[in-house]
Amino acid sequence: MVRHLFILIWNKRKQHFLLMFEMLVSFMVIFGVFSLMVYYYQNYRKPMNFDYDRVWVINYNNALKTNNSDSLSLFYENVRKTLRSMPQIKGVSYASANLPFTETTNSTGLTYKNNRLNRINNFIIDDEYAAVLNVRMLDGRWFNKTDAVSTNRPVVIDAALKEAFFGKEDAIGKFIGSHDNKTKMKVIGVVGNLKSRGDYTSIGPSVFARVDTGAFHWLGNILVKVTPDADAAFESHLYKSMANAMKNANVEIEHLVDKRRSKNNFFLIPLIVITIVAGFLIVNVALGLFGVLWYNINTRRGEIGLRRAVGASRSSVSLQLVGEALVLTTLSLITGTFFAIQFPLLNVGNVEAGVYLTALVLAILFIYLLVLICSLYPGRQAAAIYPAVALHED
Amino acid sequence: MLKNYFKIAIAVLKRRKFFTFISLFVISFTLAVLMVLTALIDKIFSDDYPDKKRDRCLYITNLQEKGLKTGFTSSSPLSFYFLNKYAASLKTPVKVAISSTYSPTNTYVNNKKIVINYKYTNEAYWEVMDYEFLEGKPYSPEQVKRGERVTVISEDTKKKYFGDIPSAVGKYIEADNVQYRVSGVVKNVPITTYTLYSDIYLPYTVSKSDVNEKSYHGPYTAVLLAGSKVDLPKIREEYEQVIRRVPMNSDEYDVMYSHADSYIKGYLRTGDEEESGLRIAVTGLTVFVLLFMLLPTLNLVNINITRIMERSSEIGVRKAFGASSRALVYQFLVENIILTTIGGLIGVILSYAALRLINDARLIPNLDLSLNFMVLFYGLLACVCFGLLSGVYPAWRMSRLHVVSALKA
Repeated sequence: MVRHLFILIWNKRKQHFLLMFEMLVSFMVIFGVFSLMVYYYQNYRKPMNFDYDRVWVINYNNALKTNNSDSLSLFYENVRKTLRSMPQIKGVSYASANLPFTETTNSTGLTYKNNRLNRINNFIIDDEYAAVLNVRMLDGRWFNKTDAVSTNRPVVIDAALKEAFFGKEDAIGKFIGSHDNKTKMKVIGVVGNLKSRGDYTSIGPSVFARVDTGAFHWLGNILVKVTPDADAAFESHLYKSMANAMKNANVEIEHLVDKRRSKNNFFLIPLIVITIVAGFLIVNVALGLFGVLWYNINTRRGEIGLRRAVGASRSSVSLQLVGEALVLTTLSLITGTFFAIQFPLLNVGNVEAGVYLTALVLAILFIYLLVLICSLYPGRQAAAIYPAVALHED
Repeated sequence: MLKNYFKIAIAVLKRRKFFTFISLFVISFTLAVLMVLTALIDKIFSDDYPDKKRDRCLYITNLQEKGLKTGFTSSSPLSFYFLNKYAASLKTPVKVAISSTYSPTNTYVNNKKIVINYKYTNEAYWEVMDYEFLEGKPYSPEQVKRGERVTVISEDTKKKYFGDIPSAVGKYIEADNVQYRVSGVVKNVPITTYTLYSDIYLPYTVSKSDVNEKSYHGPYTAVLLAGSKVDLPKIREEYEQVIRRVPMNSDEYDVMYSHADSYIKGYLRTGDEEESGLRIAVTGLTVFVLLFMLLPTLNLVNINITRIMERSSEIGVRKAFGASSRALVYQFLVENIILTTIGGLIGVILSYAALRLINDARLIPNLDLSLNFMVLFYGLLACVCFGLLSGVYPAWRMSRLHVVSALKA
């Protein structure tokens, strides 16, 4: 039966070429949209591994002009003390500009046993960072005061970097090298992967290092955790005292909750626009397919009438027509799959192969469903043809 | 003859209402999307508020330093010191506006937080730009020189900070913990014009950071105003020569790139000398539009073929009576263009509604998209292209039909 259908289609391949091409293009469009959706959903399901509510960001710039690192440290320790003295503030951490939910990236290269990785997110933070953001530790410990004097610079890595360097082995206590492998750093802890670029994307391997005194020359952000009763009046007060403590700086306060929302929108709005546009395209295609199939069946009234006259049942006629449409779809889907499978094979966009494969399966099902729906009605109409009437017309 | 074709076309459209509906839906929707896209691009690149003299201006937005041996690169806007020394001293430009990129700060009114973006400008900024002052006036060169705490604010800021009062001029606004006296209120600039957008504009002399610090990178960009259009290439060349003579600031780097660009080129500069932002944008857009139009076109071609084959007996009769293939193709193309034009008109209505919706949703504040003649013209062009594209292949197939088989069907 299926073979017979294939032959029928093959004989009319020229006529069907455009229809198949149209299905192929729709398949690729759907595949693209589904890939994006699956990628977002997969990331959305992963845990955040840190808390962002009631965390505020204080941004400042060049508060103190000096080349003396000691007086800088002293100055910023005083700022920290000012902040701590407020009852509404529970924790204070200086941090590099790649804060949660920002655009900024800061990357570095690392080596472990001839294995060199580039583009590792590099976070420069201080001892209280983990407490302020409630970062989930998987293994080992976070930084503390004793790390200031250690000979090898201690670092904390995330689960993705541990996986890349150590696999199943234990990472704590091991040494990893800087990008040129000249200095060695000691791994003291492993944290879960932080989704610090919003709910819908992952950021890849990351390394955390402690702020040293030289870093105050370029640092420009403070994270503070506040109590539930910290309101706008307190924020205004906090703002004034920061502006007074850092006389020459431009100061801005942001809330991580708001930053997360706008970061998520940054991913969601394009997806919504793309989905709407793709949705309309698919409605277009569905209407077009419906029209073409319907017309094709109308031109074959004679043939259908003959089949019915020699004893084919209604359902077998309608099955044949739906089957033909599905065979057409299969042919274009095979071609489409050939193109789509290149994405995971070539590792486009560094996305897990699973995302593309799931999207592929979903897209195939979607197109089959679409064609099935579009061909059911014309198929039933064809089955309703009376042999006598059809044959009489001919 | 054309009148006849027109009559036939309308008759055909009426006969198969379902197909007509599909075609019109496909055409109008595709055109509406394309027109919204055009309106957006048109707004971003050819809106001439606040820089009305855009065709006489060149924009310096970026400085890239590169170490060929070390592999280090550093790319960002420039420092006031650099622009003042090397760009403001150019001989050909009439005026040089220097301003910092907008940057956010907070202010608190009645315990409500307002985020205010501020921008430092020099005095020439107000002469190069044509901001529309709703009240008051810009700060004067003397005020800039004296470092007076005066400011020009946007309409939105006035509303947010002062509420509905008749005039804000002379009142004080607090931003960044400093009180500034309002000197003027200007019409809003959408954030898409990111080099000129801000909520409040301040004299560069009140900047908290030292504007004479001898670094090359900073937050500032410049706009060079030429006396006339013919001077533009001369200014460009002059600036390139100056850049070639600028001594390197540190031994990590040994080459330096900075250009005086046209608005679009400056807008799209990636900050990397080897990657042309303009090229990326144009390629990206072309690929998107082609891919986007491919599916509806294929769909239309399919439907058109179906339509034509349905009329094969009519074609057979016409051929039998001696109509040439060319006449038939011509007729069918005219019919198709009539169809697309009707679809196009619906598309215009649809896109008008879509633009209203987008404006009302305020996805991008102050970005008022509108259908102007340019957009309409592009829409019309797309219509004709669409009609031809989706009509040519079916018409060609039809014209090759044999008289006998056509008549038999």
